[in-house]
Amino acid sequence: MELKQTGSWVLRHSYNVRICHWINVICFAYLFLSGIMMFLQFPELYWGDVGFRGYEAVFKLSNWGLSWEESDALGNRQWGRNYHFLFAWIFLFNNLIYVGWNLKNRHFSRRMWPQRDELSKDNLKKELKQHLRLRAAKGDAATKYNVFQKFSYLIVIFALFPFMLISGLAQMPAFTAISPELIDLFGGRQSARTLHAISTVLLVLFVVIHVIEVFVAGAVNHIRAMITGKYYLSTKEKT
Amino acid sequence: MKNKTRTLSRRKFIAGAGAMSGMLLTGCDTELYTPPKIRSGLMGVSDVLTMASQRLLMSGQGLVKEFETGDITKDFPAWGRTNPEDESYQKLASNEFTDWSLSVGGLVNRPASFSLQDLKRLPSRTQTTMHICEQGWSAIAQWTGVPLTTLLEAAGGVSQEARYVVIDTYDGWYDAYDMFDVVHPQTILAYGLNGKDIPRGNGAPVRLRVERHCGYRHLKFVKSIQVVASVENIGRGKGGLLSDYNWHWYAGA
Repeated sequence: MELKQTGSWVLRHSYNVRICHWINVICFAYLFLSGIMMFLQFPELYWGDVGFRGYEAVFKLSNWGLSWEESDALGNRQWGRNYHFLFAWIFLFNNLIYVGWNLKNRHFSRRMWPQRDELSKDNLKKELKQHLRLRAAKGDAATKYNVFQKFSYLIVIFALFPFMLISGLAQMPAFTAISPELIDLFGGRQSARTLHAISTVLLVLFVVIHVIEVFVAGAVNHIRAMITGKYYLSTKEKT
Repeated sequence: MKNKTRTLSRRKFIAGAGAMSGMLLTGCDTELYTPPKIRSGLMGVSDVLTMASQRLLMSGQGLVKEFETGDITKDFPAWGRTNPEDESYQKLASNEFTDWSLSVGGLVNRPASFSLQDLKRLPSRTQTTMHICEQGWSAIAQWTGVPLTTLLEAAGGVSQEARYVVIDTYDGWYDAYDMFDVVHPQTILAYGLNGKDIPRGNGAPVRLRVERHCGYRHLKFVKSIQVVASVENIGRGKGGLLSDYNWHWYAGA
């Protein structure tokens, strides 16, 4: 008796998902880097409307081994501002297109919305164990998003992305005229800045786990699938 | 070419401002949606998207939030340049700015010079607002000064070709403001901070408040004002010192 590896190609990602995914990768890289370049030149976070060097801070980079002057020398907020706003626009349009497109072709409801059986306690337990053991899905399950993947994607797309956008707008001087209520909603202009930073940490955490999972599930196969759309589904058969 | 100047009364000036908001609503005047010099490539597209969308949302010329006196921040920061080295500035400062005067020229109907006392005699506006620096900090202070429109009216009003108000300062800065910002009621030339004369570090004797922008456009140590039709001949022609060095001209963010 021997094991023979066979398999077939399945279409995993539609072309709009692939295009929007890679545009988002570029946007995220630029938005993160340009955000960091701005933050380094004002490396403290505050709560409320007021915050400046010398004011009571909720986070100081200098407490983490990098003095204000050292941090300032590493940053470049002119570059940061130019690219942050440019890629924020590209990011916004890209995600509006992505969401509109996939609402229309029912990608969200068909592939991303958790099914009732997936939400059962037993299934959640089983999938959590698989995740913690870094076991990748096999067979038919490998062609679908698993329940934690669905949760995380939906949270990122429909909660964190809009939150980043709105907490960004709440930091802009124009919004003291356009909608001071929006700034108050965050608890003040500095609170919006702090929450923008916390939300960044959450997004970075998502990206790190996302990339780890890609490696767990087979980097070549998954990255190829996100480029060409085709995923190689292997099956082991007894002969 | 001769300047065809037309006297604008206070009423006409304000009517003009109203007409301007009207144009904004119907989207006729592209000038008010775009910086004087649009940067090349995608950066320019991004600049215009930002400015146009925000200007559209502000087309009613609503006021920025005004805070209560109790919200005023103790020790409002004196950030950036705090004491111009300029010799004439130092001389004026040594005399408590009694010899300081502000020339208002260019496309105004009666170019004039105003002493600090003259400014203080004009109708004033006091506003407690949040100052937002592009670097990241913000603080609340109460500013008292002359609305820019009031000052321009005192110089006879602006002529029909007027598009930008250019301000020069004693620390070598310059910036141009379009009529959308000029006519905003909270755009004032401030001489008072929290009920006292503006201290040196915050721009004595007079600084601009242009509330819907980041701090870098609230010029300190104001020296002179000129009204122009184009910013071509100002600095490198991009409408301000920072925009000459590749910053956004529009700083609503």
